[in-house]
Parts: sequence; C-alpha cells; structure tokens
Amino acid sequence: MTGRNVLLQVAQRGGSFLGFVRKLWQHPKGRVGLIMAGFLVLVAVLAPVLAPYDPYDVTQRAAKGLRPSWAHPLGTTITTGQDILSMLIYGARVSLMIGIGTGIALAALGALLGVMAGYMGGLVDSLIMRIVDILLVIPTLPLIIVLTNFLGRSYFVIVLVFVLFGWTGLARVIRSLVLVLKNSNYVKAAELAGASRWHIMTKHILPGTSHLIIMNTTLTCAGIMVAEAGLSFLGLGDPTAISWGKMLAEAQSGGALLFGAWWWIIAPGLGIFLSVFAFMRIGLVMEEVFNPRMKASSSIHKLFKHLNNKYLDEVFQSMDDEAACGPPERLDEIDASQARGLP
Amino acid sequence: MKRSYVIKRVLYALFIFVVVLTLNFFIPRLGVGDPAERYYPPKGAMSDIEYEIIKQFTREQYGFDVSTFQQYIRYVQGLFRFDLGTSLRSGSPKVVELIGKRLPWTLVLSVTTLLISLVIGLSFGTLAAWKRGRWQDSVLLNASTISVALPGFFIALMMSFYLGFELELFPAYTNPNMVADFDWSKEAIMVVLNNAALPIMSMALGGIVGYSQSTRNSVIAVTNEDFVITARAKGLSETTVLYKHVLRNALLPLTTSIGMSVSGLIGGAIIIEQVFNWQGMGTLFLEANSTNDYPLMMGIMLFLSAFAILANLVTELFYVVLDPRVTVGEKR
Repeated sequence: MTGRNVLLQVAQRGGSFLGFVRKLWQHPKGRVGLIMAGFLVLVAVLAPVLAPYDPYDVTQRAAKGLRPSWAHPLGTTITTGQDILSMLIYGARVSLMIGIGTGIALAALGALLGVMAGYMGGLVDSLIMRIVDILLVIPTLPLIIVLTNFLGRSYFVIVLVFVLFGWTGLARVIRSLVLVLKNSNYVKAAELAGASRWHIMTKHILPGTSHLIIMNTTLTCAGIMVAEAGLSFLGLGDPTAISWGKMLAEAQSGGALLFGAWWWIIAPGLGIFLSVFAFMRIGLVMEEVFNPRMKASSSIHKLFKHLNNKYLDEVFQSMDDEAACGPPERLDEIDASQARGLP
Repeated sequence: MKRSYVIKRVLYALFIFVVVLTLNFFIPRLGVGDPAERYYPPKGAMSDIEYEIIKQFTREQYGFDVSTFQQYIRYVQGLFRFDLGTSLRSGSPKVVELIGKRLPWTLVLSVTTLLISLVIGLSFGTLAAWKRGRWQDSVLLNASTISVALPGFFIALMMSFYLGFELELFPAYTNPNMVADFDWSKEAIMVVLNNAALPIMSMALGGIVGYSQSTRNSVIAVTNEDFVITARAKGLSETTVLYKHVLRNALLPLTTSIGMSVSGLIGGAIIIEQVFNWQGMGTLFLEANSTNDYPLMMGIMLFLSAFAILANLVTELFYVVLDPRVTVGEKR
C-alpha cells in the first residue's frame, strides 16, 4: 500500500465536527489544550464581569506602580496606575478575536484558492501559484506596516492584511493534496456522472481536505496571535483597544525595565504564551487524531515544516517508509510546533 | 539542460522583480485623491500663496507633475541608476544613502546571529537525532515548544530586563553614540560587540531551535536509509557513519532553510531592533513609518524584496549544483 492510498483513505474517512472534538477530548494532551483554550474564550467573553477594575481607568494616581497584592493580584502600571489583571483579561479579547477571526478567514481563502489551483489546473493554477511566489518574496512585516499606514490602523484593516498575505502556506498544502484527490476514483466517477466542477470541488474535494484545513487553521490562529502581539508592540495595532502586545510596548516605554516592574512585563508575556500554547497543542493533537498512522513519529518533525511546500511529500514519504519497513520506534514525547505564521 | 534551467530561473526571478517593483510603484498611489498630497510638508505658519508654491515645488521635486505612466518610466529608469527616490527628511537625502548607512549595522546583527544559530543548531540537532528519545532530544522538544509559543520580542524584553538592568552584564539599550563614534578602533569594535550581545542572543535563540529541529529531522530521515544500515552492518564506527554517511546527506536539505533565512537577513529584525533601539534597517523603516516618509518606506520595501528574490535565486541554483539528483526543470 502506498502513501498516497493511505492518505486517500484518511481523507475519505471524514467525520463530523463533534466527532473531532470528542476525539480531541479523549487525547490527554488534546484535553489540556481544549481546557486552556476554553478557559481563555470564557475569560474573553466574560471580561467585564471578571475584571476587578476598569482597565481603561488611567486616573488612579494613588495606585501607580503597586507590586502584586490582594487588592491588585498582578500589580499596577507605573505610569497610570491601571490594574494589570484587568488589562490582561481585556487583552484576551483582542488576541482571541484577531487570532480566531483571521484564522477562519485565512482558512476559507486558502482552501478556496488551493482547491481551485489544484483541481482546475492550467491557467488558474499557474496564476495562483505565481501570486504565491510573489507574496513569498515581499517581506511580510514591512508590507503590513505600509498597508496599515495607508489604510488606517483599525482591527478590520489588520485582519484584512493578515488574510490577504497569509493564505499562501495553506493554499500550497491544499493544492498538493488536491492533486492527489483529483485522480481518485470517486472524483473520476463524479466527473463521468456529469457533475459540475463547482459541485465536485465543494462536495467531493473540499471535504477530503477538511482535516488539513482544520489543523492548519488552529496553528495559524496561534501564529497570528504572535504576529498581532508583534504589531501591537510596534504601536501599529488599534490605538483604542488594550492588547497584550501594546501592554508590553507600554511597559517598555513606561520604564518597567528601569524601575524593575517585572510584573508589568511578565503578565502579558504569560498571556501570549498560554493562548499560543493552547492553540498549538490542539493543532498538534488534531494531526495525530486525523492521521493515526503518523502517530509514531514525532509531530514536531512535521510541524516545523507544515508551511513548507515539501510538507505533503514528506507525509507521503514517511507513509511509504512505514509501509515498507514497519512503524519507526515510538518517542515518549510528542510536542510543540511550528506556528510562526507571519513575521 | 542545466544551462537552460539557469536561464529559466533567472528570467523568472526577473519577472517576479518586475511585478514587485510595479506593485511597489502603485501602492503609494492607491486610494482616493491626489497621491502627491501625502508628500506635502505641513502648512504651519505659511500663507496660502506660499503654501501653493511649496506644493508646486514638492510636486515637481517628487515627479508628480507628469502623468502616472511617465512617472513609472522615470521610476524604472531611476532603478537602473540605483536611485530609489528621495526621502522627505530635511536635507532631502537619497533613500539609497540612508539605506547604505543603516545596512551594515543590521548585517552585524543578522549575520552573527545566522552563524551562531547555524553552528549551535547543527551540532545540537545532530546530537538530538543521534540520541533520539533520550534527554538531549526532549530538551530540544521542550525548547521548541517554548520558543515557538513565546514571541521573540518578549524574550528580548526579558533579556534586556534581567541581563541588562538587573545583572548589568550587557547594555540593556544600544548606546546612542555607538554609530556616530565608530572609527574601527579596537575600543569602538568592543563597544559594538558589547551592545550587540543582547540583540544577537535573543535573535539566535529562535534560530538555534529552528536549525536544531530541521537538522534533527533531516538526520533522522537519513539514518533510516538503507546505505546507513549497510555502513553499520559492515562494521564502520559510529563516528564514521555519522560524519561520512549521515551528515553529508542530511545537511543538503538544510540549504533551503538557510537560503530562506538569508533572504530575511536584512529585514527580519524590525521588532528586535526596536526593543534595543538598534540603529539598523528595521528602525529606519519604523522611523519612516512614523514620519510618513513614503519614498523611504517604499524604497526599503523594494530593496528588501530585491534582496529576497536574489537570495531565493541563488539558493535554487546552489541546490542544483549541490545535489545532482534534483530533477531539473520539473517542479513538484
């Protein structure tokens, strides 16, 4: 049995969304990720209830630079006396909103273009792949900065820019998979039966790629969260909102380093770490759940190159190897990932 | 065969460059209204008539007095003379000159970082692969998790805080006089090294983990190949197998990732430069952004893209030379 056949089987197995979640929950590491992500979503939704103080209140002159205490569990800022725990809670909203929103939009665009490139081939394919080549050489972070300069710094623009320039990785991976699916018997059967191209793409090919899309989206969410923090740190995020990156920038410019206010720096860093970690975990475990034959090899191996265009080749290769020489020795630890989305 | 491949790749790189420079030309001209408006100086206390004259002068100076097509032609002609335009800063310095002044400082950081991460990453990755499943390997796994989930600039901030302010090992911020005072004397070089220590350390961390990871994966992939089993079976020592048979083949795929980091050498450090206030290309770009210096911004963009295109091209060609098995002309 060749790797391509195995992949086809995996793709055709499909399954409902609830089924995925159940499988994730049954996996101990997946459960940790789900609980963490669920906790973060809860915090973001309930922010006004949970936050002990008003994070936008910059008038607390008496409470400047307080160390962590019972009244202010994470201390206050040196410059304005804002409560850091409250800022952290509100910052979760921005991080999750941008991360998940961009991730989903990116998945839609990347999947659409990837399926189109792979299935339609010809002119459409070469056009899309040329755009990918061009977007790859343009330095992403400077481009994002230029565009936010021209288009304004609202979150809508930031998400738009992330989506416009981040879809290339997913599209390439999807395209490679579609090239395989295209030659499968069920697609050939649908073509012979006279189904329209649109029907085949949405009803037969797209479901086959869904596991890749979902996994990739989770990892992209994590990557976008890091990227958003970077943008906010440079002062290019939405100026009206509180975000973790902006908190770090304020801490730096407000002299947190100079006055030894470690609590001001560590809190937002921890926030970023936890949210990225949670989504990364889920993405990783998903890969294992969707593709049990890959379980034995370390998933970090693949995730460090999941945006690489050779990714699928590697998958096929490892399956061929496995079919030929049996499963490789099992590693104790299966962890971490490549989630560097944009810059 | 090979020659036609080279020509094809070069032509394709040129094509990409033309598209990128066209995009680069049109991005500032996007949107409604007169693009020249962005270039006008603030009105200040000038009278209306004076301001009209200044506006007219600005239009001529930045070439907005002719049609867009003619502007494009002029822009391309300028590129042949390595003219990326004129900055809006006082004194109207050429964009190329500004880039030329900052580029060496960025290269100091990025080249050192690349070398350090390559040396440590390759050795550690090989070690982790050779000791697969033992503690060396799990150290790498955990380091990867942390380095991916923590943004680089946060690590940089923490380093600046603990190694800079608390332990006072290295300067937490770049000495602002470093660039101006540099005169190739021994002291000046020491000052630069001292100031560069923290930025390099925080940038190298991610690079080390990345290279270790890809080396490990590639070494493990090669270790499972038949010729390695044969080499072991015929009784070669483990060291000989590692150096003569495994590493030689495992390092080949790394060319691609090295090529990718080379293309990011001059623009990849914007946030870290900002954290340490290092006077390189990244901070130059941010200055241009905050002062709305569009010619400078677009000039830097084009420069970075051109460099990336060149780096990609060289990597592609280099790869063919290194690995004769690569099927020329056929793209997977």
